[in-house]
Amino acid sequence: MLNLRGPTSKVTEVMIDPSQRSRDQFRALLEAAPDAMVIVDQSGQIVLINSQTENLFGFSRAELLGNKIEFLIPKRFHAMHPGHRDGYFGDPHVRPMGAGLQLYGQRKDGSEFPVEISLSPLQTDGGLLVTSAIRDITARKQSERDLQEKNTALERANEAKDSFLASMSHELRTPLNGIIGFAEFLADGKPGTINPKQREYLEDILNSGRHLLHLINDILDIVKIQAGKLELNPETFRLEAVIQEVRAGVRPIAQNKHIHVSLQVAAGLGTVTLDEQRFKQVLFNLLSNALKFTDDAGEVGIRADLEGSGRFRLSVRDSGIGIKAEDIKRLFKEFEQLETGTDRRFGGTGLGLALTRKIVEMQGGTIDVESEVSKGSTFTVILPLVYRELQP
Amino acid sequence: MSVSRILVVDDNPTNLKLVSDLLAFEGHEILHAMDAEEAQVVLTQTLPDLILLDIALPGMDGLTLARQLKADGRTRHIHIVALTAFAMKGDKQKALDAGCDGYISKPIDTRAFPGEVADMLTRVRDRNPGDAP
Repeated sequence: MLNLRGPTSKVTEVMIDPSQRSRDQFRALLEAAPDAMVIVDQSGQIVLINSQTENLFGFSRAELLGNKIEFLIPKRFHAMHPGHRDGYFGDPHVRPMGAGLQLYGQRKDGSEFPVEISLSPLQTDGGLLVTSAIRDITARKQSERDLQEKNTALERANEAKDSFLASMSHELRTPLNGIIGFAEFLADGKPGTINPKQREYLEDILNSGRHLLHLINDILDIVKIQAGKLELNPETFRLEAVIQEVRAGVRPIAQNKHIHVSLQVAAGLGTVTLDEQRFKQVLFNLLSNALKFTDDAGEVGIRADLEGSGRFRLSVRDSGIGIKAEDIKRLFKEFEQLETGTDRRFGGTGLGLALTRKIVEMQGGTIDVESEVSKGSTFTVILPLVYRELQP
Repeated sequence: MSVSRILVVDDNPTNLKLVSDLLAFEGHEILHAMDAEEAQVVLTQTLPDLILLDIALPGMDGLTLARQLKADGRTRHIHIVALTAFAMKGDKQKALDAGCDGYISKPIDTRAFPGEVADMLTRVRDRNPGDAP
């Protein structure tokens, strides 16, 4: 037990000090604390302070000792404070003061500053006292505010970017539809017949136009996903039929490179309920990647198997250039086409796989890749057999 | 395939020409309007079998026009197909709620579009057998 009321205190007379030494040790301890330490009794009278308290509040020790703790608190809190203090003395334990509240201290010159206070009971000869460790948190509050402002600014910039990309993609698509649409009229001979060379050039225009449209659509999709505005329309369809349809779509590319695309669908896999368009988009992206990165006369294989717990596994394997281990984690990020050496010759925006991953994950699935450089890669997608929207 | 009268409403001249010419190649009779107000003027003189209506129009928007046409006994029976450019969440539902009978997402696929329009026209005839030309 300590007697803290030293000879400087007005109430010293009532105390007998059995141990000057332990009192000195306690004072040294208080002085060593980084925070302002104020010890009060049950009536709220200040019994002991350290010099950090003097520095923080601008009062001298003599001005504070024997005065009420309310001295250090802005007037508007005076009415409530004694009640809180009584509450604390009724249940004294170590805890922060005013959890969830913003606390303020008041300096001698009347200025206020935000504080954080932790309270602990202190049993002494003179009865129960309370130690308050008071910390000026002006700087922390300021940096919290700065951080919040920066965050808000960042969010706004991000929204502005999304809406810019969305309207940009839309604006780009409108004239492109004119280019593709009218080229189709000509190629289809609607206004009259054309010669073979004219047809060839029209097909070149169409291929370039469709490629550009594809890239713009990918950007629009990414933006829509980021803004939470992509709609999924689950439909029930025969898995094998849809896989065959997508495989037929890439046949021209495969034939150009003399690549055989094999297909194996497990017997137990019949229909699934997913967004059919988005499923086709996923498979198309994986297949066109596999074909893009596989040399002439290589192999590409599609497999679909049951996975258990209501899921199935779709994998696309190729015998292409493969992916380095350190590149794999960047693979599914937006705008991160791997730029190692010759890869740039393959073109693309670097959006395909990021988009594929997002579409798969939106339907409760996962995507993964195993790869070995110059041996090939296998992309595996696991999807539910029946997609149900998560939110009501 | 039988010939129908179709009103195309689109503020983008390239789009308007693309859709109109495509349907004209199929032999349909085409009326056009660049905005909702012009469409209203056209409709005072001629009633088409089908309206292909762009939703994002300057001045009165397509949804407002659709609501007005569906509230008017003279034009209520005309099949309205929304051409929705954005295909953003909720856009299609908004078109249907405004009284449109269907929607086609832009960009249109010129090779599939005539078939889609033919399907719509078949539905129009099934619904209004007396109107068949």
